[in-house]
Amino acid sequence: MEPQVHEPAHEPGAPVGAAALPLRTRIVAALAVGAVAVGASVHLGMVFLHVAPDNSLSKKHDAAIDAYVYPEFEQNWKLFAPNPLQQNIHVHARAVVAHDDGGNETTGWVDLTAVDGEAIRGNPAPSHTQQNELRRAWEFFGNYHDDDGQPIGMRGELSQEYLKRIVMHRFGPELNGGTVERIQVRSAVTPVAAPGWSEERIDTETQYSTQPWWQIASSDLPGGAGR
Amino acid sequence: MSEAQVPQHDGERAAGWTQTRGERWLSRALARVTGSVLGPYQTAVVRIGFGTAWLFFLLREWPHRRRLYGPDSTWSFELGERLLDSNHAFSVLMWSSSQFWFELVYHLAILASVALLLGWRTRMSSVFFMVGVLSLQNRSIFMGDGGDNVIHLMAIYLVFTRCARVWSLDARRARRCADGGPSFGATGPVLWAVCGAVLLGGTFTGGFSLGWGLLFWGLWLAQGAWWLLTRTAATTGNTEGRDLMDVVANVLHNGALLVIMVEVCLIYATAGWYKIQGSRWQDGTAVYYPMHLDYFSPWPELSEVLAGNGLMIMVVTYGTVLMQVAFPFTLLNRRAKNVLLALMIVEHLGIAVLLGLPFFSLAMIAADIVFLPTALLVWTGARTDALRRRLTRRRPDAEAPRHLPRPRSADAPAPDPAQAADADRARR
Repeated sequence: MEPQVHEPAHEPGAPVGAAALPLRTRIVAALAVGAVAVGASVHLGMVFLHVAPDNSLSKKHDAAIDAYVYPEFEQNWKLFAPNPLQQNIHVHARAVVAHDDGGNETTGWVDLTAVDGEAIRGNPAPSHTQQNELRRAWEFFGNYHDDDGQPIGMRGELSQEYLKRIVMHRFGPELNGGTVERIQVRSAVTPVAAPGWSEERIDTETQYSTQPWWQIASSDLPGGAGR
Repeated sequence: MSEAQVPQHDGERAAGWTQTRGERWLSRALARVTGSVLGPYQTAVVRIGFGTAWLFFLLREWPHRRRLYGPDSTWSFELGERLLDSNHAFSVLMWSSSQFWFELVYHLAILASVALLLGWRTRMSSVFFMVGVLSLQNRSIFMGDGGDNVIHLMAIYLVFTRCARVWSLDARRARRCADGGPSFGATGPVLWAVCGAVLLGGTFTGGFSLGWGLLFWGLWLAQGAWWLLTRTAATTGNTEGRDLMDVVANVLHNGALLVIMVEVCLIYATAGWYKIQGSRWQDGTAVYYPMHLDYFSPWPELSEVLAGNGLMIMVVTYGTVLMQVAFPFTLLNRRAKNVLLALMIVEHLGIAVLLGLPFFSLAMIAADIVFLPTALLVWTGARTDALRRRLTRRRPDAEAPRHLPRPRSADAPAPDPAQAADADRARR
């Protein structure tokens, strides 16, 4: 019944694909169809449960879904959703620098986000170093620190070291003629004003949240910083 | 599996009518997924799109490459190591903390994206492309954004597609060889041997996890087997093995294409459905806010002008949600799908300029175009071809497309008879 031809015919209606193969190979082809069908279904099912809101199914199989999706199929498509960010979050930093004469000096706050914003303005293709580095590092830091500024788990520690290195990359090891010994960061959150055409009024006063001082070690200095 | 038993000739049917129809449908569907590469133009254009997006990104970031992914990045090698030790993400950059290794990987990633977009030795270059994307992105995961995320996923999916059947150097070589049978030039085996040596090195130094090792070795062995079976088919006339490889590759391709399409739908569905729950998307002001964020306003004056019109902000806000939620369902209607696709591409172009996210937008457009109609792609291809020929002053027939897979009849104009005959031959 199965066609025994090695060179399939070209007439319309002639078997194509697996149907044109000898039985032995058709069985292998059938297995391939089955495997790919199962693989694609499992993959799409896992990704669906990963991107969907928590539901009865995904709560039950939490561990299996995470094990499948992380790290390579992780995804998040809540783009500007449920609500877009409605506040400008700026990261400020200052330092205590040690002078050669033994004196110390605390610098003023430097608005690092404003420097990024300056670089982005008028730039048709902003670099990830301008648009993502500090912005996402601060997000990362916030997600893995409690309200008292204490790191949560290993990622909390990583995020703090990362932030230190970003600040030190921008400050450089020397500032105001002295060596940077400690740094402090704070966030300055300013809500975006309501649109002029809307009735709504939004308080646009800036709220600050200051982190403790952090000691700077040589490992916090990215190579090339200030050089 | 039942299709092995399904007779191919309707005359042999003895069972009831409904069953026959169901079975006939099944056997026709199976013949399509096993016997043809569905969406050859769409996958080609997705390949070109993602190759281009990642290439432009790497070139744009070239001056910043060390700060983003280098051993002395702000996200230092040591920080990356600690994170990857805990989440087991794949990155060949963790094999060595030397500057030389980093530079080598970055520049190979550039070459891989050029090779992918040109469709040069695509079975190999798509794997190198994926390795480049994953290695760089996973090395410094906090440098990325949504655009990187799309490229990351598609780089993996593209490995499993036969995305170089058209508009590629591979296709051109296949056309040139078609008249005189397959070519057994030395380039293929040499590249294969080099890849084998690289794999061996990576395996012995413990660079691959079990899963990645199996995948890479599997892909490598499949390439070797394919070459051997194609050669056997050409020299002995026994095509069984080659045909089987062809069928398995078709099935993999069609499965990966389905995954790509559903992935795009999932992106829009989640983006839309989460937005519906947001008060700003409900009150029609959402679009106003990102335009006033310092990180997403490269042209504040332009944003100011556009955001000053309350009605327009509302229309765009509601329109965005409507499009994103509706998109998966419009696939049921060709015309509605095409209109929506055009609108989404325009919206992404707007996002590219207004929010300063050109690489994100490019990646999203590269994903969108998997749904472009074949007729439009073929037409664009012919135009591009004509333009290129005019620019290079070649003889008009020198590069005429032949052996192209036939566009799907439903969305293509009546095919040129000569081309259709060629297409039939190409299908074997």
